[in-house]
Amino acid sequence: MKIKKNKLVNLIAIMLAPIMLVAQNVPELPESEDIPSSLMTFFVTSEPIGDGGNLGGLAGADAHCQKLATDVGQGHKAWRAYLSTQARPGQPAINARDRIGEGPWAHSKARLLDYLDRRLGRPLIKSQIHGDTLPEAQRGSNMSKEFALTEKGEIVNGIGDPMPTRHAVLTGSQTDGRAFDNTVDRTCNNWTSNGEGHAQVGHTDRVGNGNISWNSANTTTGCSQEDMASHGGVGLFYCFVLN
Amino acid sequence: MSLKNSSLVLLIFSFVVTTGSLMAQEDYRYLPMSFFVTSKPIGDGGNLGGLAGADVHCQALASDVGYGYKTWRAYLSTQARPGQPAINARDRIGEGPWHNVNGVMVARDLAHLHGDTIELARLGNNLTKQSGLTEKGQIVPGLNDYQENGHNDGDWDFVKTTPYSNRHEVLTGTQVDGTAFPSDYDYTCDNWTSNQDPAELGPMGAASSKPNVQIGFPDRNGGGNGSWNSSHGTRGCSQYALPMTHGVGMFYCFAID
Repeated sequence: MKIKKNKLVNLIAIMLAPIMLVAQNVPELPESEDIPSSLMTFFVTSEPIGDGGNLGGLAGADAHCQKLATDVGQGHKAWRAYLSTQARPGQPAINARDRIGEGPWAHSKARLLDYLDRRLGRPLIKSQIHGDTLPEAQRGSNMSKEFALTEKGEIVNGIGDPMPTRHAVLTGSQTDGRAFDNTVDRTCNNWTSNGEGHAQVGHTDRVGNGNISWNSANTTTGCSQEDMASHGGVGLFYCFVLN
Repeated sequence: MSLKNSSLVLLIFSFVVTTGSLMAQEDYRYLPMSFFVTSKPIGDGGNLGGLAGADVHCQALASDVGYGYKTWRAYLSTQARPGQPAINARDRIGEGPWHNVNGVMVARDLAHLHGDTIELARLGNNLTKQSGLTEKGQIVPGLNDYQENGHNDGDWDFVKTTPYSNRHEVLTGTQVDGTAFPSDYDYTCDNWTSNQDPAELGPMGAASSKPNVQIGFPDRNGGGNGSWNSSHGTRGCSQYALPMTHGVGMFYCFAID
């Protein structure tokens, strides 16, 4: 029985190889309908740190990702918060896209079989989520409200869902996943401020502020926990496995 | 009591603030409708009676809700034929801006609508599930919106009597940049005249001599990309084939004036 299943996985892998970029590291088929799936390599934090834009820097944010993942049995992977920091004297900027490896990334309900009959299950491709070429940017990626699940498999409440809205997600990044220059604060002082400053946010449901950006839709007017709420968020952020 | 009241006030306040931030950039509310998704299909699959028939459908639906005084065009391309050049959907719909029935702007101009520069394309236009409404103000039902146990939401006989089931695939026959496809394969149900299926219903998408139509998603959710105008193809061009991939043959209408 076990052998049969592995054969099936191999068969699927062979079928997918020419089409899918996951060919090199096709993971094991999950044993069950467990949530999160053992394939999970991406999630939106189910809870914020709770101190506005002060995440304890990138290190504090990474630790939050790691903790939430550990709580659901996925702590053996190396998790990174999708956040940029801006340049400071003697400190170069850090781009969110450079922190997360090369992907692809699967969500918390990913099932390998999804790839065969449902395109919605397809993992996120790095160049597609950032629109690295014009056709990719025009077509878009699989990042959608149904894909941007928490580590518990929950949809993040967006526009039109019951309040409070939680769709504004901290990134501090431009649409291409890179840091802003340091003329205006977009990172709550590199994720250390819960008062002064601004945070660049994206929307998990791809709705808001006249665009559909998941990673750079809007700029908050402050960095307190209350400021997050006034922009339709609570201070959630994206976590990716460095792979 | 006072606690109740204050939480109600907070609720209203946060609603106002959220709505406010949505509108922060440009306030286009209460402008006349110049964009909608057809609330119903013509009903003969990919046969719309050509571009002319599709335009008439747009005009009729707009008239039903008091917007017949505008000139409406279906957002559809046709492919080149001997002696007939291709027609690009983007060249048919005027210059914008376009607003939905609630006056919310879906796009400023053609470049915003299609993402003509990489910066515009990465940010995207404002066509979303919330703004991509029919002429009656209905949200186009998408994935997971409504399901009935024991019923197949890919079956036209079920879908036609179940208005809330998934039907988010919108006919465009168009590439992501708003231009027509080359004429090697069918992407337009033979320039909107065919209700035919291949001899055997196979996978979706274009193939040699196969009736097919390119679709997009007003809710930006499907096909692994979320393109509003060019996500993927269909299994055929009949009214029965379109629902198999979750469309019914609705399309976008834009006013050119």
